[in-house]
Amino acid sequence: MADEIKQEPPANFKVTIDNVTLDVPPGTTILQAARLIGGDVTPPAMCFYTPLKGSGGKCRTCLVEVSKGSEKDPRPMPKLVASCRTTVMDGMEVKSITSERVINARNSVVEFLLINHPLDCPVCDQAGECHLQDLSYEHGKAGTRYEFKRRTFKKHNLGKYIQLHMTRCILCYRCVFTADQLTNKRQHGVLDRGDHAEIATYIEKSLDNQFIGNVIDVCPVGALTDKTFRFKNRVWFTKPVDAHRDCPNCCGKVTLWERGNEVLRVTARKDQWGEILPAEDGKTGWICNECRFEKKDINDWVIEGPMKVARHSVIGANHYEVLDRPKETISAVMGGRAPKLLMDIHSISEVNDPGVDLSKIPGPATGAVFNREKVIEEKKD
Amino acid sequence: MSSQKLLLENAHIEGIRYYDVYRKNGGYRSVEKALKMAPDEVVEEVKKSGLRGRGGAGFPTGMKWSFIAKPEGVPRHLVCNADESEPGTFKDRYLMEFLPHLLIEGLIVSSYALGSNVTYIYIRGEYAWIPDILEQAIAEAKANGFLGKNILNSGFDCEIYVQRGAGAYICGEETALIESLEGKRGNPRIKPPFPAVKGAWDRPTVVNNVETLAAVVPIINIGGEEYAKIGVGRSTGTKLISACGNINKPGVYEIDMTISVEEFIYSDEWCGGIKSGKRLKACIPGGSSVPILPANLLLKTAKGESRIMNYESLSDGGFATGTMMGSGGFIVLDEDQCVVKHTYTLARFYRHESCGQCSPCREGTGWMEKLLLRLDQGQGKLSDIDLLWDIQSKIEGNTICPLGDAAAWPVAAAIRHFRDEFEWHITNAAEAQTRNYGLAHYADPLPVSEPVAV
Repeated sequence: MADEIKQEPPANFKVTIDNVTLDVPPGTTILQAARLIGGDVTPPAMCFYTPLKGSGGKCRTCLVEVSKGSEKDPRPMPKLVASCRTTVMDGMEVKSITSERVINARNSVVEFLLINHPLDCPVCDQAGECHLQDLSYEHGKAGTRYEFKRRTFKKHNLGKYIQLHMTRCILCYRCVFTADQLTNKRQHGVLDRGDHAEIATYIEKSLDNQFIGNVIDVCPVGALTDKTFRFKNRVWFTKPVDAHRDCPNCCGKVTLWERGNEVLRVTARKDQWGEILPAEDGKTGWICNECRFEKKDINDWVIEGPMKVARHSVIGANHYEVLDRPKETISAVMGGRAPKLLMDIHSISEVNDPGVDLSKIPGPATGAVFNREKVIEEKKD
Repeated sequence: MSSQKLLLENAHIEGIRYYDVYRKNGGYRSVEKALKMAPDEVVEEVKKSGLRGRGGAGFPTGMKWSFIAKPEGVPRHLVCNADESEPGTFKDRYLMEFLPHLLIEGLIVSSYALGSNVTYIYIRGEYAWIPDILEQAIAEAKANGFLGKNILNSGFDCEIYVQRGAGAYICGEETALIESLEGKRGNPRIKPPFPAVKGAWDRPTVVNNVETLAAVVPIINIGGEEYAKIGVGRSTGTKLISACGNINKPGVYEIDMTISVEEFIYSDEWCGGIKSGKRLKACIPGGSSVPILPANLLLKTAKGESRIMNYESLSDGGFATGTMMGSGGFIVLDEDQCVVKHTYTLARFYRHESCGQCSPCREGTGWMEKLLLRLDQGQGKLSDIDLLWDIQSKIEGNTICPLGDAAAWPVAAAIRHFRDEFEWHITNAAEAQTRNYGLAHYADPLPVSEPVAV
């Protein structure tokens, strides 16, 4: 018995992040602990991806200050550390948003990431679900101090399904780890170094592995996009629903991005941090190319219900009524003057039909649908 | 005053490159001596010597060796870092080219101390002719029983392999070197785990500079305590300095870290003064990554003391008024050199050599290079100087490996000490394209601040 007691896992570590104390098992990283707290305390992470072994540490957006190393060795760490790759010690004290150094470093990393990134979100297919877009809203400045030509690359086709646009890439290496760990044959790596480094399939070989489509899901920006979906629709106009099918290759549990009854895109299921969720039966959540690219008929799938979305992207905000009406903004742009009359469009116009909440219309909110809705309601009456 | 020589003592002897001559001149004595000691005693001897890493960081070698993990049944490795790519540094090349057996001897002793049965020399690809020299020396040592199985009947086996790099500065960083040695892309690893715990093929590994490992030979021969008596303070032993730039006698010199910088530059025994009788403007005393100093701060510290060629004295005053010993790449600039152009050249180097793994270094080095090019071409703005300062401060300390710091420090130091020259490049842009700023006031003696009475 005594031996068995010794075999028990060691006691949890106490870690304090931004004055919030919690117990976590040994081996937890600071980022994982901060995610348990959630909210603003959680550092952003552009390159770390829990299911990918070895990822993280590269983008430097998750830097935090360790003001106390541990109970045993209370010295603070001299440099900011990458929270995604630093494991907690017992009694560790971490500062995330309470440290000015961290905020400065985070803002500067965002600036570095953006100097060569094309700021053409309106024409980028990733807009709306782009982590860099979120990051720059949260930490970026409105202007840029960079006055040189931005780096550009030619677009590449990686096989028939995936397009690579290196110009948008932030070299997070997630896709490299994915290709390395999910596929048997490594063809996907990084060529060159420094700011001219690029993601490449070695000498333009196309990737025909069954699981290579997952590189699209892990890409935090619009560098790797789905050619079966590119420019078909903006993501915020689509409706994400969870669905599954009996797939011989993978777990078959996916999210369908629909418009009306049309399946525009299929992706793996992701959690609130944009990471692939493991399937319930313990299998990995990665989906195969067949599910992702070939099954675009609603009849291929069993619908489970709408996807729960949080945090990332405008899809997360989804129901626009929760947004505050920007009254302060109006006076700010009018040079301090208040508007003479602040009208609610619904109260003065019949066109937009105050009785219908746009975000609650099933399917696309086109004129036809809109009228049909009205017809249905009238019939009820 | 002649400095005591420990490494280059026999470098002038004809044929010292070959085993027979090297052995006749006392070579491989340290192997014979060390193999009769216990490995821990060898480590202890190196600890006593106070030897500090000669690759740039100056970390105590004995302490580094004592950190190596010794899990049961897992092989350990010693890797010799011969990826000497720092601009201005060429001491290891000299050592390997002329005294290859000294390195091999040091490697055998160090491998014994660390328990490494397979030891690697990772050499930069540009040193194309040196691997042949090393491999010949290894073959000779093996033929004479100093390598292979059961060396000198001590029961210790050791093999040394030479691995060529493909020409990347970043592979001189120890974890990038290990990645490259494993056959992967030379990206630095995220530490911890440190190589002493998980290095090459996840086995405990120690990576040491060529000169450090060569210095183990005299330490074992004369004993750690004797070695520690040479030099001053924590700068023990001798250091190879590769002097270059605008001096009369560029080359590799062995110094015992007690001579002053002034003596080193102007004495006929060493650099022999500035070429063509010009005046000294600035100097980078430890390879391109360390801060550049103007003549006045180089020769005298801020306290008004004479600056000595050793770890402590060169770094006296921190980065505000001091610099670093670094790898010993001593680059001298005379009065006709332009610091702006010089800084641009370094920034271009670091931009080209950044591995591109982490964002501040990848993007920041390119940005600094573009700004400096613009300044150098006379199209800069005064705000660019502040911007450069801001960028370098945001790279420094925020990157995975020290390359980010190495790229930031030269720019920071150039702006810190030569801001006048940068401003002149902007305010007198047309003139700056036709002539240099010259020496200006950079050699004027600085007032020594008196301690303030409270």
